[in-house]
Amino acid sequence: MSLFDVGRLCMKLAGRDAGRACVVVEKVDDRFVVVDGATRRRKVNVGHLEPLAETISLKNKASHNEVKKEFEKLGLAVWDKKSKTHEARVKRQKKKSTKPTVDKKAAKKVEKKEVKVEEAKPEIKAEVKQEV
Amino acid sequence: MPAGKHKSRQRYRKVFVRTPGGNVKIHFRERKPSKAICAIYGTPLAGVPRERPAKMRNMPKSAKRPERPYGGVLSSKAMREIMKDKARTLLAKIRGESQ
Repeated sequence: MSLFDVGRLCMKLAGRDAGRACVVVEKVDDRFVVVDGATRRRKVNVGHLEPLAETISLKNKASHNEVKKEFEKLGLAVWDKKSKTHEARVKRQKKKSTKPTVDKKAAKKVEKKEVKVEEAKPEIKAEVKQEV
Repeated sequence: MPAGKHKSRQRYRKVFVRTPGGNVKIHFRERKPSKAICAIYGTPLAGVPRERPAKMRNMPKSAKRPERPYGGVLSSKAMREIMKDKARTLLAKIRGESQ
């Protein structure tokens, strides 16, 4: 029985999660525990935690959803963000103009094709006339 | 004669530079600002660069101060003490919710 058993409410003291409430989810050894809650779910040094007098009834290695339910009962927020992978990050895109865009190259090609068709037709007609 | 702005030594410091020809020339370089200090303990802050404002302005935010609450204002020791106080208020809040 130690201070940092599973279910112990704590506050993170070090790093970017400092000042956020968390609960011990798993005990790794005498020095390290896994925490979850308003912090990211991660292994932390016990020296970076301030234990609170309250405990939550949680099973060992409880899932994030189980922790979330318990935290909602206490009126505490939960960390729900997941770090994005490189592919999932949205790249900055330029604002599209409201004017309808016209593809100049494609428009030129269409014009050329139309011209060719017009040129070809009169020749055929001329041949037909000669035959008649 | 040195230019007037170099005489006061407030902004510029003297640097003796040996040139390739073997002569020693005096160069003037801008002084760096003093180290950032903790607002509670007055100890120098780690992770805050000593650079002129113009250079600091062009730096990314994450390079200018540690990424933690009160980063760039308090030392980690001072911040931890504040967080321990905050833990007491959090406990009172939890007990209030549960009752």
